[in-house]
Amino acid sequence: MFGEKVIELLKESERNRETLDQYNDEKIRQIIEEMHVLFKLNMNDANATTENKSLWTTVQVRHSALERNKRCLLAYLYNRMNKIKILRWEFGSVLPPDIRELLSDAEYDWFSKYSTNLATYMRSLGQDIGYNGIDLTENLRPPKSLNIEVLCLVDYGKLELEDGDVIMLKKNSTHFLPTSECQTLIRQGILKQIT
Amino acid sequence: MDEEQLDLSGEEEEITADVVLKTIQTSWQNERLSPEILPHRNDMVECMLGQIQHMERNINKLPKTDLRTSIHKMELSRIKYIICNYLKTRLEKIEQNCIIIINDEKQRIESGTNYLTPLEYRYAQEHLLNIEHHLKQTILNQVPGNMQVFEINKMSTVPNLQSHVFLKANETVHGIVLEDHFGDQDEEIDLEEGSQHILQYKFIADLVKNGKVQLI
Amino acid sequence: MDPYEIEFIGENRIVSIIPNFSYDKIYLICGEFGPFRAGLPMNVPLWLAVMLKQKQKCRIVAPDWMEVDNLENIKEEEKRSRFFTKMPNEHYMVEAKLILGAASEDIPNASEIKTIIKDIWDIRMSKLRTSMDALMKSGGSYGRLDHLTMMEINSVKPLLPAAMDELLRIQMMSKKTTPATLNSSTFSQSGTSQNT
Repeated sequence: MFGEKVIELLKESERNRETLDQYNDEKIRQIIEEMHVLFKLNMNDANATTENKSLWTTVQVRHSALERNKRCLLAYLYNRMNKIKILRWEFGSVLPPDIRELLSDAEYDWFSKYSTNLATYMRSLGQDIGYNGIDLTENLRPPKSLNIEVLCLVDYGKLELEDGDVIMLKKNSTHFLPTSECQTLIRQGILKQIT
Repeated sequence: MDEEQLDLSGEEEEITADVVLKTIQTSWQNERLSPEILPHRNDMVECMLGQIQHMERNINKLPKTDLRTSIHKMELSRIKYIICNYLKTRLEKIEQNCIIIINDEKQRIESGTNYLTPLEYRYAQEHLLNIEHHLKQTILNQVPGNMQVFEINKMSTVPNLQSHVFLKANETVHGIVLEDHFGDQDEEIDLEEGSQHILQYKFIADLVKNGKVQLI
Repeated sequence: MDPYEIEFIGENRIVSIIPNFSYDKIYLICGEFGPFRAGLPMNVPLWLAVMLKQKQKCRIVAPDWMEVDNLENIKEEEKRSRFFTKMPNEHYMVEAKLILGAASEDIPNASEIKTIIKDIWDIRMSKLRTSMDALMKSGGSYGRLDHLTMMEINSVKPLLPAAMDELLRIQMMSKKTTPATLNSSTFSQSGTSQNT
C-alpha cells in the first residue's frame, strides 16, 4: 500500500529515540521512487478526470499519499538533524569515526555547517569588550567543587592545564584536576569522575 | 579587587555588580521556564563578562595557594555556568522555533523592540538556511514536480503559549483575566505580592517581561 | 529545571559560619564578606560555607530554624493545617541537605533534625498530591500554591503542568468537534505542528 514504507522509516527512528541509527539510504530511495510512480499516474489521469468523474477520487488519494510521503520524509530528516545537533555539543566539531559512519554525506555536511554556525556565534560572544568568545559547551552542570578526582580510561598522552602544568594521562591512572578542564574529556569517555 | 562599582556604558546611574548578577540570575531562571524566547539582556551579560575578566586578571596576581584564589574561582565558575546556560537555553529555543522567531523578530526590529541580539539573529538566519539547504539537497530536489516546494509554513513550529507555568508575584498585580477559551466563563484574579500560582503562560507573558512576576 | 539546579540557586542563601582563620574582607561579585576573624561568627553564601567547611576552615552555625523543638512545631502545624504552612526558609530542603551533608558534626541533634525535616517534606508532598488530584478533578486550569518551596514545586514537574496542558487540549478539542462529514477537504493534510 502507498505510504507504508515511510511509516516503517518513522517507526525505525522512533524505536531509538535517544540514539542515532544508520541513515537508511535504501528505504529513502524506495520512497522517493514510489512518489515518482504516484506522480506519473496522477499526471496521466488528471486530464481524464473531466470526462471520468470517478477518477477524481483516485487522483485525490494518490495526491494525499504523495503529501504524506513528503511530510514523513522531512520529519525523518528533521528528527535526525536534531540528534546530530546534540552530537556537536557532546563531541565538539570532530566526530568519532564510528558515529560519523551513521551519517549520510549530506548529513555530515549539515553537521559541519551547524558546527561552523555555532562556532562563529560562540567566538563572537563578548567581542566588543575584548573577549575571545565563550565556549558554551563547557560549564554544562552547576559547579560543585573546583577540582574533582578522575580515573583515566585510555592511554591519552599529555594534557596541558591552563596553569601551564603538564600531566600524563595513562590508562587506569587517577588525577585530581580542575573540574572545568576535564569536562570535555569526561564527555568523550577518556576520563571518568570518581568523586 | 576593590572595584565595587562599575559603569554601565551609556547609562548615567551606576549599578553594582551584585545587582547585575541578580538580574542575570532572574533572566536565566525566566528564560529556562518560559515557553517562548524572552527579550535579551545583553547589556547585563556584557557587563558581567567585563567584571569576570577584571576579576580573572586580579586572581592571576594572587599566589596560587592563596585561599582567596579558590574562593574567587569558585564564584566565577558559578557565574559562568549561569551565563553559559542562559545563552545556551536561548540558542535551543532559537533553533527549535527558528522560523517563527525570525518572522516575529523582523517586525520587532522595525519597531526597535528586538528580542534577539544581533549575533543571535544572525545565528537564527544561518540556522534556517542550513536546514533548508539540507532538506532540499536530500529530499526536495529528488521528489517529483510540485512536491519540491519548501513549504516554510508547514515546517514552522511555535512555542505553546498556553502551557501552564508556575510563578511568584514580585509585586501586587490586580485583575489578571484568565480568559476562558470559549469566552463564556472568564475569571479574574489578583496576584498579591509574594503569592504563587500555576496558570497558562499567555496570561502573564507581559508580566514576566516587565519583571512583575518571576517564573519558578 | 533539574534538582541540582534548584540546589545551585539555593546555594546563594546566606548562612553563618565560624572561621578558624583570620583574613581581610573578601570582595566577591555577589557582595563583600568578612573580615574573617578566627572564632567569630560571620555571614557567607551557602556555597562558600560548604567550600570552607570541606577545606576544614570553618564550622557552620546551625540556622535558627534548624532546631528540634522549632521543627517539631512546624511539623505539627503542617499536620494540622489544610493548607501549606510557610516554611522558615524558601530553600529549607537544600539548606538542610547541604549543611547536614557537609557539617553534621556542627549541628546539634543532626540525625534527629534530618528525620523531622524528612517527615515535614513527606507530609507536604502527600498534601501536594492530594491538591493536585483535586485540581485536576475540578477541571483545573488555575491553581494557587502559596508557601510551596521551589524544590517542592519542581518535584511535580513536569507532571502537573503537563496534565493541565493536556486537559486544556482535550477541552478545546471536545468543544471544537463537529460531526465529521467526509469530503475532499478531509484528505488534505493540515501541516501545522505544534511543539509542547
